[in-house]
Amino acid sequence: MEVKSLPIEELRKLLAAVSEHGKQHLVEVEADLLQTTFLLNEAIEKLGASFSAIHEAVAQQQHIIDQLAQSQTLPKASAEKLDVLKHTIGDEVNAVVTSLQFQDLTSQLISRTINRVIGLKGLLHELETHSNAMDPSHEHAQIAQFLEMMSHNLHEGSHALSGGLRRSVGQQDMATGDIDLF
Amino acid sequence: MAKTILAVDDSGSLRQMVAFSLKAAGYEVVQAVDGQDGLNKAKEKTVDLVLTDQNMPIMDGLTLIKNLRALGSYQTVPILMLTTESSDEMKAKGKAAGANGWLVKPFDPKRLIEVVQKVIGS
Repeated sequence: MEVKSLPIEELRKLLAAVSEHGKQHLVEVEADLLQTTFLLNEAIEKLGASFSAIHEAVAQQQHIIDQLAQSQTLPKASAEKLDVLKHTIGDEVNAVVTSLQFQDLTSQLISRTINRVIGLKGLLHELETHSNAMDPSHEHAQIAQFLEMMSHNLHEGSHALSGGLRRSVGQQDMATGDIDLF
Repeated sequence: MAKTILAVDDSGSLRQMVAFSLKAAGYEVVQAVDGQDGLNKAKEKTVDLVLTDQNMPIMDGLTLIKNLRALGSYQTVPILMLTTESSDEMKAKGKAAGANGWLVKPFDPKRLIEVVQKVIGS
């Protein structure tokens, strides 16, 4: 098929479709991420409260056990077993405190992703806005200039988006981090 | 009298874990939700140690440290960073700003207490 003039209308439709469908999907992604954040926040709040309550109850229980041990009413074997359990509980409490920090790390990652999604929506909007400025009656050079400007704006916008984000969280697991004293 | 530690972090769960760990070791804990809140609370009462996150809204950790070091009462108070940031570049910036140490999240409560005890005593 011979094309005598540039298919500007078709190009405009294509760019509008890319923008529209892209934005629709990104809106869904953003909503899912916000819901995930909400669920994580609620979960960590309840986990934290329950953990504190359990720790408080165990501490009171331990206080009673310590009193019994001091009064020497406990058989030696039981006292030794309780002491081992006391240390086991202490180690597990430490592990829980470390693990519960997952919410801080994941919420930083989610927040970074949401900001990137919002930025991408902006870039797609720009794609649509600029494509509307293309007119089939324009000269080829003028249209080429529009396309060049769109590419430039997308490049700049993408660069600015990456620069404006917080650094990514590098942790790959919940192993505790390094400590440096200066 | 128990020593007081100012814990600055925009994450409520992280502040909760820090406060839980430090209180269990006998320290008093004042919490702040960002650098500006931390600066305000530090001015209200001079604390024995500041433990701050880096990435926070309104005012980040490095800016908080610089502001605290500019105050007469905080020129020698130990300041530790507790952050997800682990690059040498950021650690160098922290040291230059006046931080005394750098702890990478997630923290182990036992090791956190050991560091705090080393820096300010029990």
